Amino acid sequence: MVHRLITSIILLVLLTVVLGIGYPLVVTGISALAFDHQANGSLVYRHGRLVGSSLLGQSFSDAAGNPLPGYFQDRPSDAGSGYDGASSGASNLGPSNPLLIGFVAGTNTVGLDGRRSATNPFATAADPACVPTDPKGDPVTSPLGDQRYARTPAGSYVCDPNTIPERAITYRAFNGLGSNAMVPIDAVTASGSGLDPDISVANALDQATRVARARHLPADEVVALVRRTQTGPQLGFLGEATVNVLTLNLALDGLR
Amino acid sequence: MSRSGWEQLLVVVVVTAVVAPLLGRYLAATFRGERAPGDRVFLPVERLIFRLAGVDPENSWTWRSYALAVLAFGVVSTLFLYVLLRLQGVLPGNPTHAPGMPSLLSFNTAVSFITGTNWQAYSGETQASYLAQMVGLVVAQFTAAAVGLSVALAVIRGIAGKALTIGNFWADLIRSLVRVFVPLSVLSALVMVSQGVVQNLTGFQTASTLAGGTQSIPGGPVASMEAIKLLGSNGGSFYGAGGAHPFENPTGFTNMFDLLVVIVLPLAIAFMFGRLIDKRRQGHAIVAVMAIIFLSHTVLSMQAEVHGNHFLPAHVAQMVSADSPGGNMEGKEVRFGPAGSALMTVGTMGTTAGATDSALDSYTPIGGAGSFAGILLGEVSPGGDGGGLDSMLIFALLAVFVAGLMVGRTPEFLGKKIQGPQMKLIIAYVLTIPIVTLVLGSISVVLPAGKRSILNPGFHGLSEVMYAFASAANNNGSAFAGLTANTAWYNTMLGVAMLIGRFIPIILALAIAGSLAGARVHAQTRATLDTTGPTFVVFLLGVIVIVGGLIYLPMLILGPIGERIVG
Repeated sequence: MVHRLITSIILLVLLTVVLGIGYPLVVTGISALAFDHQANGSLVYRHGRLVGSSLLGQSFSDAAGNPLPGYFQDRPSDAGSGYDGASSGASNLGPSNPLLIGFVAGTNTVGLDGRRSATNPFATAADPACVPTDPKGDPVTSPLGDQRYARTPAGSYVCDPNTIPERAITYRAFNGLGSNAMVPIDAVTASGSGLDPDISVANALDQATRVARARHLPADEVVALVRRTQTGPQLGFLGEATVNVLTLNLALDGLR
Repeated sequence: MSRSGWEQLLVVVVVTAVVAPLLGRYLAATFRGERAPGDRVFLPVERLIFRLAGVDPENSWTWRSYALAVLAFGVVSTLFLYVLLRLQGVLPGNPTHAPGMPSLLSFNTAVSFITGTNWQAYSGETQASYLAQMVGLVVAQFTAAAVGLSVALAVIRGIAGKALTIGNFWADLIRSLVRVFVPLSVLSALVMVSQGVVQNLTGFQTASTLAGGTQSIPGGPVASMEAIKLLGSNGGSFYGAGGAHPFENPTGFTNMFDLLVVIVLPLAIAFMFGRLIDKRRQGHAIVAVMAIIFLSHTVLSMQAEVHGNHFLPAHVAQMVSADSPGGNMEGKEVRFGPAGSALMTVGTMGTTAGATDSALDSYTPIGGAGSFAGILLGEVSPGGDGGGLDSMLIFALLAVFVAGLMVGRTPEFLGKKIQGPQMKLIIAYVLTIPIVTLVLGSISVVLPAGKRSILNPGFHGLSEVMYAFASAANNNGSAFAGLTANTAWYNTMLGVAMLIGRFIPIILALAIAGSLAGARVHAQTRATLDTTGPTFVVFLLGVIVIVGGLIYLPMLILGPIGERIVG
């Protein structure tokens, strides 16, 4: 056994030098010569300043976290506090989790005592799937007897803003869509990386009117810009058609 | 399913059908032990390594010596990686200032990469230094893959060969690295970089965003790790989000390329098997079983994900259209869409890679069950590099035995009799992983230390825990990531599951090969059961589904099936 361990150690040292140092450095070297832009993260500069990467989504909200109406908005993000490049990740919420889908009557609804219930006692006029929040703003999915809730001035429950039904309500209001208008699925779901640089074409078109109004541009011009920015699917079938939000917003800034 | 989903699947099938047999031919020529393609380049490198390590590659061993060498190499590599992870904070090559990993996390991570599982209880961006990723994790990914292929070569020699010995582990290990894994990794990495996968040595760069904020843009030697992560059926990613991260998997093209890099080599190894035993139809029969299982569970999941989450209100548009991917988009990237995501993620679940481009925890119950199926059927569709073939051959021996009992013929495979001693080892092989999965998983849903880590309530929570142990014991490494896995309980228990799930099957497979090595080869007569035709393919499928499926049925009913029906 001892000679096998010794051979293992010698081989491991050799392999560590060749595979651990030589291999990545060779790949890095060839990449730097042949694909410098891609190897360094497809960085985007404007007036010489690094403004992001065309492969990474970024936040288009102001310092207080409110989305800027003059920019197209990315999808919801679970990377850190949103589009944090140092903390990629997904929500990992299961398909029947009330934190994702809200309280769906008969599926995952609970009563005021936290037990299963056929109806949603927290439903509001605007949101029948409302998941209530406590006074600190945290969602409550299994209330206890003495649970306290946040209320609006009118007295109804304050709903968790991150469920899909609530995001749909917010999306419609922000974009001036009718209260029963269809909402593109990607606009109300978080991506796998939390850094998705793209939105669907439908999502971009739904936002175009709002962006045009905020920028005092003709809506047609913004819609045309969306269509010009739209790419893919690669080779016609690999993946889906997308609109890169950073590219689109840079082009938008370039219009005037 | 959407049209682009079917088209992508078709292209995967066609490209694999062309490339895998060619690669299988190259592998067979390489490992037949005679003159091989590329000798002019590879032979001097090999000879140099053999001389430096004092290895005589011509010396062929018994199965015991082979297994001991595999274990010795495993022990040394695990210790080295453990120490490296503990010390990464004070070592150079750490531009992101990752601190040393705590002891249990280091144990879990070291075991995870040495066993080829690549379960990641840490987050790549902040908890692993560039040095640890390059010098530790990437080297482990190379060696785990090469060990898998080496063991498969030894098993083939035992099951089919005429000699009493089954080869030399050092020679197999070095040859697989020099002639297969390193050249193919360099090529794959460069293809990936050309599409936008990053490959640099800079740390975070700060961008000033359009909205007036800042964003950290990560870097790192990502493509070089990504290549061997996939080619070696490992699955461990540079970044926390894995194959969903745009810097690891930037385009629809890389998404499909990544899947192909995972599945082509295990299939090529099955083709190689047919050539090495001079019975190519036997290889084709095994490829057929692998392909049928692959297509079933992948298509099942793709359908479910494109169909979408039926719990959502009707005014959230999940229909597929020219302007919207539709489907269940939670945890998925727009550029892949639900069909492309499920194809890549679930397509790798029948291998030990478990490389994901989307969040499995957010899959629909049936979509998630598809990926469960790939793992629970023993990862034979098409399996890990080598491990898939090992499992398939052992299932084939089991099938031959069962069929022999049913029709009253002597069970023979490749002319060798399957008898009591072999059957005991085969049953132990088949039961090891289910026992580890079910016992450790069940304990975890009872103990508070196990229950605390569950994110999603109800049926889905059980799926999270059972999936973790199935994934660890099968050396898959994918996760229902809502589970908080970086705890003392899970780091330890999943580490144990990975160790048992890797080394016990390897030892048993080598023992079975050893017990058949040198056994008399009987001439094929009309009374011999044909192991290459469609009848055997269907029978083998049945054995795999019944053994894998029935063992786990109660768990599947309490997990994904319950969630789909009850909600």
